[in-house]
Amino acid sequence: MLSFLLRKILYSILVLVGVVIVTFFIRPPGDPARVILGQRADEQSLVALRKKMGLDQPIPIQIAYYFGGLVTGDLGKSTATERDVVETIAERFPATALLASTAMIMATILGILIGLIASSRPNTWLDSAVMSISLTGISLPAFVVGLLLVLFFGVALNWFPNSGYVDRGAAHLFLPMLTLAIRPLSIIARVTRASMLDVLGSDFVRTARAKGLTETSVFVRHALRNALNPVVTTISAWFAGLLAGTFFVEYIFNWPGIGLLAFNAIEKLDFPMIQGTVLFTSVIFVLVNIIADLLYAVVDPKVRLQ
Amino acid sequence: MKHDRGMSLWVVAWKRLNKNTGAVIGLAVLVILVLMALAAPWITAFDPTAQIVEYGVKPAGFKGPVILMKNAAEPDRPKMRAVQSYRTVRDSVFYVDPAGVEYRVHASSLVGTGPEDWYREPTFILGTDKLGRDLFARLVYGARVSLTVGLISESIALAIGILLGALAGYFRGWVDDVVMWSANVMWSFPSILLVLAFSIIVGQGFWQTFVAIGISSWVEIARIVRGQFFGIREQEYVTATQAFGFGTLRVMFRHMLPNAAGPIIVLSTAGFATAIIAEASLSFIGLGVQPPTPSWGHMIHDSIGYVTIGTNWGMLLWPCFFMAAAVLSVNVFGDGLRDAFDPRTSQR
Repeated sequence: MLSFLLRKILYSILVLVGVVIVTFFIRPPGDPARVILGQRADEQSLVALRKKMGLDQPIPIQIAYYFGGLVTGDLGKSTATERDVVETIAERFPATALLASTAMIMATILGILIGLIASSRPNTWLDSAVMSISLTGISLPAFVVGLLLVLFFGVALNWFPNSGYVDRGAAHLFLPMLTLAIRPLSIIARVTRASMLDVLGSDFVRTARAKGLTETSVFVRHALRNALNPVVTTISAWFAGLLAGTFFVEYIFNWPGIGLLAFNAIEKLDFPMIQGTVLFTSVIFVLVNIIADLLYAVVDPKVRLQ
Repeated sequence: MKHDRGMSLWVVAWKRLNKNTGAVIGLAVLVILVLMALAAPWITAFDPTAQIVEYGVKPAGFKGPVILMKNAAEPDRPKMRAVQSYRTVRDSVFYVDPAGVEYRVHASSLVGTGPEDWYREPTFILGTDKLGRDLFARLVYGARVSLTVGLISESIALAIGILLGALAGYFRGWVDDVVMWSANVMWSFPSILLVLAFSIIVGQGFWQTFVAIGISSWVEIARIVRGQFFGIREQEYVTATQAFGFGTLRVMFRHMLPNAAGPIIVLSTAGFATAIIAEASLSFIGLGVQPPTPSWGHMIHDSIGYVTIGTNWGMLLWPCFFMAAAVLSVNVFGDGLRDAFDPRTSQR
């Protein structure tokens, strides 16, 4: 187990190095100094800025500097607001974490529930309705879903506020949370349904029924417990993705998290901030996936041997 | 060797696909969208980029009278002026704009010779966007961008993915390690952020968008091809081709690749849908295809401020509907393909 752990962690570090290198190249095409100062900048200030940004060094040295800054927790300063990138990200993270975790809880509970309902009435109109709606949920990007929800719940019905953060009332959480939850919800529902149908067809379920157990007992105590394994995998795989999914959702609902920060940075061509947010999200993504992998190895000994 | 009896994989797959109602509907919708994209100039008489700012954000079915003025720079695209009414006095034309101000122009600066040439009362069947461009025309022309992105980006992804996957699966060892390392690096970025990063690196525009999406979508394909090649390389016919002295490339791409075709085709339909979404997402952010080229993602972004006011809702709903239709039909068709190629699915 220990050697598995060690190998896994070493490899992840190697992958993270690659992630940092890709992130390093998120910069304006051509000469970054000219992009920042504009076409009419004079040669002197261009040279000065290039020196300040380390652009006069060869690329590998620049990458090394970038790593150096990273290790000491320095991702530079925003070119738009002059604020420290790491500090700003730390400030914005709670909002994103709140949105992602509530959306995940909602997706898990509703997804399993809907999947169960569909699998209890396979091949009926209810089942096909649930499956078609979930296929639509999987197919549509978050910004489309979000705007349609705003149009329906916010504008037409006027039940929930269209945008803003929870500091103006908890109701502000609902629409962004639902928008973010729809995709994982649809996938969890489909996986639960498929897995349940699989298990319900197996011999031990037939035995349970033959013993005369009630349908509810067969369903919940016997089938569901065995069907949950792939569902748990899906959930852990999606949690990491959700953090990135907040990108559009935060923009549409004006939710002050990492996603909105990145969006605004792109609009202002604020490259240190773009790099910072991309790097931060990717590192979280990798970390969550490693934790999921490790948990999986603890649960399932077969994984360790691979 | 020829098949003496029975049917090839392709014929079987096609027959199975034909029995799958969902897949056939998906394919039909897709064909309609492709035809719409190809025949765009015949479907709508409007220029998707022509603006009549006075007629911005009008509801469906809006009739907007215009006069056409000569455009020295582009003779084929006359300038359109919104008018309430007009009167001609000898060789001058007086027209009243929607704000009620009267202007005078010389008849020679108008298109053609008489009102029958330069006066029009076009109907905007789905209304207009914020710059007074015809919504329907932009939707129809927008299909071109979306479908081209799907096609070209997916081709780029396929080329990279097949090449790297084949190399990794055939040579294994350090080649495999390097390919899988890069795949895992790409995998570590949430997909939209990866596309975004590449789009910033390669720059914005029509072709850049294709490249950015293409180089960020090869990972899945490479993994599948690699896995397939792992298995196929152990088969006897591959040893036979090597014994014949065929070159490595010939063995890989002429003999091994066709046997991995099923999963690749299935994956590329899924990739097609993902590419359409990626382009719309990029354009939504403003990094994708640049205006005034019509793109569904851009149209959706443009509608944001107006949706909450409750003016022309079609500005949001129509591009969403078209995009959903495109993505859903590709996905449903792809699901059908997967079932058709999967030998485990029973024939019904």
